[in-house]
Amino acid sequence: MRRLSSALFLLGLGLLIAAIFKGMEFGTVAPIAGQLINSAAAEQVGAANFVTSVVLGYRGFDTLLELTILFTAATAGGLVLGKRAPNAKRDPDAGFILQAGADLLFPLLVVVGVYIILHGHLTPGGGFQGGVILASAFFIPMLARPGTPMSHTAVSTIEGLAGACFIFIGLLAMFDGEAFLTPLMDKGELGALLSAGSLPLLYLAVGLKVGSELAGLLAHLSESEAVD
Amino acid sequence: MNQLALLVALPLITAFLLPVINRVSTFAARWTGPLVLVITSAIGISFWPQLGDSAVAIELGGFRPPLGITLYADKMALLFALATSIGTLLLWPSRGEDKLRQSTLALILAGSGSGLALSGDLFNIYVFYELVAVVSYGLIAARSTAGSFAATVRYLIVSSFGAALALTGIALVYQATGTLNLAQLSQLAPTHLNNLQGLAAFVLMLIGFGVKAELFPVNTWVPEVYATAPTRISGLLAGVVSKLALLIIVRLLVLIFHQPEALTVMLVLGILGVVTGELAAWRARDFNRMIAFSSIGQLGIMFIAFSIPGEAGVFAGLAVALHHLVVKPAMFLLAERWQGSLANLAGAARTSPLGAALFILLALSLIGVPPLPGFWAKLLVMINLVAQENSLYMLGAWVIMGGAALEANYLFRVASSFYHRTDEQTPPAAHRPGDLATASLLGAGLVASAFLIMPLADEIEGVASQAADKNHYVQTVNPEQLP
Amino acid sequence: MLDTGLVLYSAAFGLILIGIAGIVLSAHLVRIIFGVALLEAGANLLLLLATWREGASAPIIVAGRVPEFMADPVPQALVLTAIVIGVGILALALSLALRVQRAYGTLDMHEVRQRMEQEIADQAGIDMPASSHAPAAVQAARQEGSA
Repeated sequence: MRRLSSALFLLGLGLLIAAIFKGMEFGTVAPIAGQLINSAAAEQVGAANFVTSVVLGYRGFDTLLELTILFTAATAGGLVLGKRAPNAKRDPDAGFILQAGADLLFPLLVVVGVYIILHGHLTPGGGFQGGVILASAFFIPMLARPGTPMSHTAVSTIEGLAGACFIFIGLLAMFDGEAFLTPLMDKGELGALLSAGSLPLLYLAVGLKVGSELAGLLAHLSESEAVD
Repeated sequence: MNQLALLVALPLITAFLLPVINRVSTFAARWTGPLVLVITSAIGISFWPQLGDSAVAIELGGFRPPLGITLYADKMALLFALATSIGTLLLWPSRGEDKLRQSTLALILAGSGSGLALSGDLFNIYVFYELVAVVSYGLIAARSTAGSFAATVRYLIVSSFGAALALTGIALVYQATGTLNLAQLSQLAPTHLNNLQGLAAFVLMLIGFGVKAELFPVNTWVPEVYATAPTRISGLLAGVVSKLALLIIVRLLVLIFHQPEALTVMLVLGILGVVTGELAAWRARDFNRMIAFSSIGQLGIMFIAFSIPGEAGVFAGLAVALHHLVVKPAMFLLAERWQGSLANLAGAARTSPLGAALFILLALSLIGVPPLPGFWAKLLVMINLVAQENSLYMLGAWVIMGGAALEANYLFRVASSFYHRTDEQTPPAAHRPGDLATASLLGAGLVASAFLIMPLADEIEGVASQAADKNHYVQTVNPEQLP
Repeated sequence: MLDTGLVLYSAAFGLILIGIAGIVLSAHLVRIIFGVALLEAGANLLLLLATWREGASAPIIVAGRVPEFMADPVPQALVLTAIVIGVGILALALSLALRVQRAYGTLDMHEVRQRMEQEIADQAGIDMPASSHAPAAVQAARQEGSA
């Protein structure tokens, strides 16, 4: 009975979606914000990658909230998973291939991650993407050697300070009398590594925060005791 | 006026730094949170006289909308932002393990709730809404019982489902208009959104944001969560967060979606909410779920009120919302010691006379007995419903009256059992002084507003008329057009 | 061949429908969570497609050359945010699933729901009305308890 009613509900939903689909007009409406940004972003923000200028400049507030959601998810995850019992058994170390592979991959991943973070305003990429790579860089050794756990104090300190840095840079603009999260500093030359004012700094904070946060969350998940 | 962004930024930066502060000094970490909320509330209160008749729009990052995000502060938004800060301060999580994480989450709740009330950009509202959701998942699961985990995961599924629907609605709106700024959407709505796509987008967003507003049919999570979460968090969720979600829907209705079908959908769902909520509350046999179902019913009344077109609907709905904002958290504070079967509450007046008296006061106001504010709020709704001269609105009026009758029955069933003389049964323990003090404060506020009802009503009517003024919103934000 | 726009939009709506089907029809918690992830992926794709134009190039200035027809950068930033939100919620959902599994020994949501209601009723000190929809394990336990 439940299955039948669910199937009917889905059928009705599918028909509704088809009706909406037919009524949609494609390609006729101009993206107002998009066109204005595309024409103004180069001079106003100074980043060659317009998506970065949207993420950190025009919609920097959204990015701040995104960071906060990740932080909240990690905090709530820590609250839910609880503390590990002090004498709980740890998983055995992984085999030779995983250990050697982890040792090889670690420096490579760190370099790639930092590269993507630092070039976020020039090429596709940025703090979130690079941060995830950094998180995997710090997590893979944990998979290879579960016996040597990550230091949660270091992770949470980096996480908190990086997030506070982001807000602090945003608040600095308010001391000048401007609005919250106004981009600061000289815009520099378009396409150079040191350009777009405070945007690379913001992405660096984002990258460090995301990296440490995800690594901590993954470590928490993998450390929680196994069900017998 | 740029300092308004501090209402969001200050709690957030404190939340980020709280683990670091905790390493330096545990004492500082315990008191930093409430201190920051006091400062934030003070900043918010200092803005109130500056608002006057015209609202203020703040362009974040110095970018003109629709390129950037604007915060729009009219009296209604500031009122609810203040309610969030002060509410979180009053209902600060004090029990349970892992107080550090709970304090962090409570700070983020205060900041994100204020932002949700103030935001003027559709996607920004969605992100704030998700932030409030994730914070509530963490706070609900704080008791770490098996039931709380199950309730939290079920709530997470319903809420994520709703949020994805809301995002689909936002995608449809963006596809039809090309902008996300509420003021610009208001300008484009008559030509671009007055069709099936616009109505579908509204219904999707209504259901999506309605999860937190305990809208029928996505309110299945309410009894489970309120029964297993810490009572202070339940009070915050039922009292403050549900109003914030309702506020977003009202803004969408006032600014963008003017189709009569949109109002009809809200009216129908509101009526269903009142009927199911009050009936379930009448049949409930434990205290927490009784007041949980009662809040579903009250929110149904708010949906009915807001579905009345024009400024009258906003005024009526705002009156009921503000009344519930004060009453429900107080009831949940009383529920701390009265959890459990209603039969166990016999003779509670002996151990907690003030608590029993407070409960009677709150119940009278909820039912709508003059001269308490609840009466005036319900009267306003009824008058405006009957004035519509439409059979569906009349049905809404009858349903509200029926609901009030049911409320009187189940609330007084409980209240009279407080004063039973029972010798076989031990009455429940007395309330903690902290809980009782906060509940008394809210009760005192209720009584004070009963005496000051006329000036208060004028003030609320001013807030409502400013909120319902679409043109004022668009002029204040003044979005940039395409050349 | 097929119009590209039609294919993309069908994919987005299809993902949404499959995700909703997964949430509504599944009993196992991890499958429901996968349904949520699919639903979010579909919604993200739909948001990206909102201002999609065929033949637009990436909105990046490479080597000083400004492309003539640039795509809209706003949905890309929005979806970036939405994906990160989805990841956070997914991680939290899996943590909760872990604790549910540890507490109840099962991830069948029908059974978990019944036992949760039973637990709430027991804590409140009231009897739960017997329901014919309860899964076999819970009904057996109930019969044992009343026998």
